[in-house]
Amino acid sequence: MTTHLELSNLAVSFNGFKAVDGLNLKVAKGELRCLIGPNGAGKTTALDLICGKTKPTSGSIRYRGQELAQMEEHLIARSGVGRKFQVPSVFKQLTVRENLEVAYCKRTGVFANLIRIGRTPESDGLEKLADFVGLVDFLDHPASYLSHGQTQWLEIALLLAQDSELILLDEPTAGMTSQETQKTADICNRLKGRHTIIVVEHDMGFVKEIGDVISVMHQGSMLAEGRADEVSANQKVREVYLGKVGIGHA
Amino acid sequence: MEFFLQQIMTGLSIGSILLLIALGLAIIYGSMGVINMAHGEFVMLGAYGAWAMNAFFGVGLLPSLIVVFLGVGALGWLVERGVIRFLYRRTLDTILATWGLGVMLQQMIRLSAGGELRYVEMPSVLTGTVGILGVDVPGYRVFIFVFVAALFAVTWYLMFRTTFGTKLRAVVQDRSVASCFGIDADKVYSLTFAYGAGLAGLAGALVAPLKSVSPEMGTTYVVDAFFVVVLGGVQSLFGTVASALMLGELTGGLAYLWNDTIAKALVLLAIIVLIRFRPQGLFVSRIRS
Amino acid sequence: MSNAFTTFLNNRTAVQITVYAIVCGAIFLFPLVLDNDFLLNRYARYLVLGMAAMALSLSWGYAGILNLGQALSFGIGSYCMAMALKLRTVPVHTGEGGLPDFMVWNNVETLPWFWQPFHSMPFALLAGIVVPVFLAVILGWFMFRGRVTGVYVAIITLATLVVGNLLIIDQQRFTGGFNGITDLAQLELFGIEFDAYSKSTYYLVAVCMTVCLFLALAVTKSKAGMILQAVRDHEDRVRFFGYDVAWYKVLAFSVSAGIAGVAGMLYTVVMEFASPTFLGVPLSLSIVIWCAVGGRQSLLGALLGAILVAGMEGTLSESETFLDTWTLIMGAAFVLVVLFLPNGLAGLFEMLRRRLAAQPAEKPTEGATDAAVLADKGAAERS
Repeated sequence: MTTHLELSNLAVSFNGFKAVDGLNLKVAKGELRCLIGPNGAGKTTALDLICGKTKPTSGSIRYRGQELAQMEEHLIARSGVGRKFQVPSVFKQLTVRENLEVAYCKRTGVFANLIRIGRTPESDGLEKLADFVGLVDFLDHPASYLSHGQTQWLEIALLLAQDSELILLDEPTAGMTSQETQKTADICNRLKGRHTIIVVEHDMGFVKEIGDVISVMHQGSMLAEGRADEVSANQKVREVYLGKVGIGHA
Repeated sequence: MEFFLQQIMTGLSIGSILLLIALGLAIIYGSMGVINMAHGEFVMLGAYGAWAMNAFFGVGLLPSLIVVFLGVGALGWLVERGVIRFLYRRTLDTILATWGLGVMLQQMIRLSAGGELRYVEMPSVLTGTVGILGVDVPGYRVFIFVFVAALFAVTWYLMFRTTFGTKLRAVVQDRSVASCFGIDADKVYSLTFAYGAGLAGLAGALVAPLKSVSPEMGTTYVVDAFFVVVLGGVQSLFGTVASALMLGELTGGLAYLWNDTIAKALVLLAIIVLIRFRPQGLFVSRIRS
Repeated sequence: MSNAFTTFLNNRTAVQITVYAIVCGAIFLFPLVLDNDFLLNRYARYLVLGMAAMALSLSWGYAGILNLGQALSFGIGSYCMAMALKLRTVPVHTGEGGLPDFMVWNNVETLPWFWQPFHSMPFALLAGIVVPVFLAVILGWFMFRGRVTGVYVAIITLATLVVGNLLIIDQQRFTGGFNGITDLAQLELFGIEFDAYSKSTYYLVAVCMTVCLFLALAVTKSKAGMILQAVRDHEDRVRFFGYDVAWYKVLAFSVSAGIAGVAGMLYTVVMEFASPTFLGVPLSLSIVIWCAVGGRQSLLGALLGAILVAGMEGTLSESETFLDTWTLIMGAAFVLVVLFLPNGLAGLFEMLRRRLAAQPAEKPTEGATDAAVLADKGAAERS
């Protein structure tokens, strides 16, 4: 498998505080990588760095051989990186349908989008997506009417509409019921292979369900990497994060 | 040499008046995020307060400062309770609502005190000139400068050395957390707004002897004061001082080189460029978002 | 209520287009019931101001750009028209082809270079649109590339307006200074004379307004318009879909400036002069007020808001009783609208549509009731 994304010696500091410090990570094409670690380990910051929300102080982010470190967010997104945020981020005043249409972003130019008026054949595909995440009845409702769980689903649907090659998920199952978590796991497993996915999660059951390889972060850098059983057997990981019970009981 | 000193004194004088007007705005905008377009009208009310005290009760300017501070402060308190508190989550809307208030205040003054220009007399002890480094400076201007410095010191002390200031800064940081610790955020905010308004009133009373007093006088002040606050950095009191003096010197200097209009236009252009490249203000360092 | 009607109500775009068309139709039919050139001139003036407010709604309501300097575009348009019409008069002092009167008074000897092209009417008409658009693109690019948002946009646009205003007043020799440009010729296009006090001018304004209104509506209904609304909601998120937010904002900002430019040109025709007050802070803030009262997120709302408020101002300030209290009432009404009707009068209309659409008369289905509850909830949340 070829390396799709490679972070090397990545570091960022805020007023001297090093949130990420010497982070190295290699993710292969089509792989689903889980990123775990205690609070403040720098997981979300790592995702922020990849998608350009935060600019690194040093180090490099190579994606398909292209350096992303100092690129603007929209260019990173165009090169194929999609992101779901920890706090669900959708467009509250737009309807669910409009949210999906914005997320369907094959053409990003101003003039291309100025001339395209009204509904297009693509809309049907978007309706299927809405159906898939159980929001088809809400297509014409503003997103502000949705509950927290539904908003999570909407954002996942936005990601599916965006159809990025590299998908970054930040705690996708937060606030979901166990059935919903299961459904999210199914989606992840289905996307795996065609998309490269990085998931930050605290729910160990979920991680075990979907992750091939798990990376553990601690104090801004990588502590351990391996399959679920390997990681949970790792003495250092147990110390800083998992506690004595290990994966599967957390 | 003497010419430069003269120039610097003029700049300091403009700057101290700017600071006087901007100080109240800096507190209101800096700590509450409220863009108070009625600030100019508070200034105007202060000026009319000084005029009225003199015209109806024969009270001189200096004693009436206390009355003006309390009076305009009380009005500020009412405004916060009646209007502003509904808008804490809608910063841009505070521009609109306070502008509406400003229009109302202007019209009320026009209806009660009349639209004609009013004049306020300078306290007789301050009418002379003072020699500073060989330059003659009007005594009243020196008084304003000293007064503003004192006012600033008091404000700084209030903000950083008193329980009230600590509470205010806590509410600014995170309103809900502060409330959980038993701080009455509503009260803190309304008192802060009242204090800011009171300062504006003082500013109005103090500038009254220098300019003519009219219902519209506030409009120009509010715009200038805003630029001072934004330029200084929204949450930095010292930044406000620095930017007020800087703008004062700049306006004075440019006005000498060209004319008042061009000076004003150039200062505005400089402000536009500065906001574009340093929206956090000149004197605030970047913080983690 | 029939089902077809409910379906119609549920389609926001269809309702919008219908209502817009009805209002425009009414504006066109208006002169048939009002045969008074003086009043027609006045209503034409309100329509022009409405255009400026409608243009602001496009940038403020749809893209979240609070442009406090809207009057700059308006004023530039107005001066472009005034310059062209001034050159069409026969100067008293210098005779045919000579200098405009105020230049003679200011000892200007030759027509400045930037006045020269205004001998051509097509150039002037074009300039009245292109110059504001060009300035807006530059200023917009300058601000939005630097990710200046919210309050800072308001301050920068306001400062730009003040600079423009100061320059116009300061350059009295070329602009007429405080007095502006007065004593203009009548606009003549395609052989039609547009006397300010005539039906022809009213119709000219009505046609331009309708065209601009539907143009703006088309922009909001395009995908770009949708993206703009997404930007207004959550600017950062839009970037992560690969859109270059800055250029979308520049689009809204400059289309808005172009429409304001057209409105400015018409204003000169209707008022028969151009003045620095046309690019003054008070007018600019008034435009914001109209827009807020009518409904910042509705093009038609903003337009009608301007007509309503400016119309009331015109009528009430003439009557003896209200002469003094008028401003007071206006200020209070405005504060109340900001506090309790953030979406203005158009917000009320939209609420009504949702409610009607959600309650079919015959048999309220479960889904429909839910929607009604949701609509109420949404309205409550937003207020």
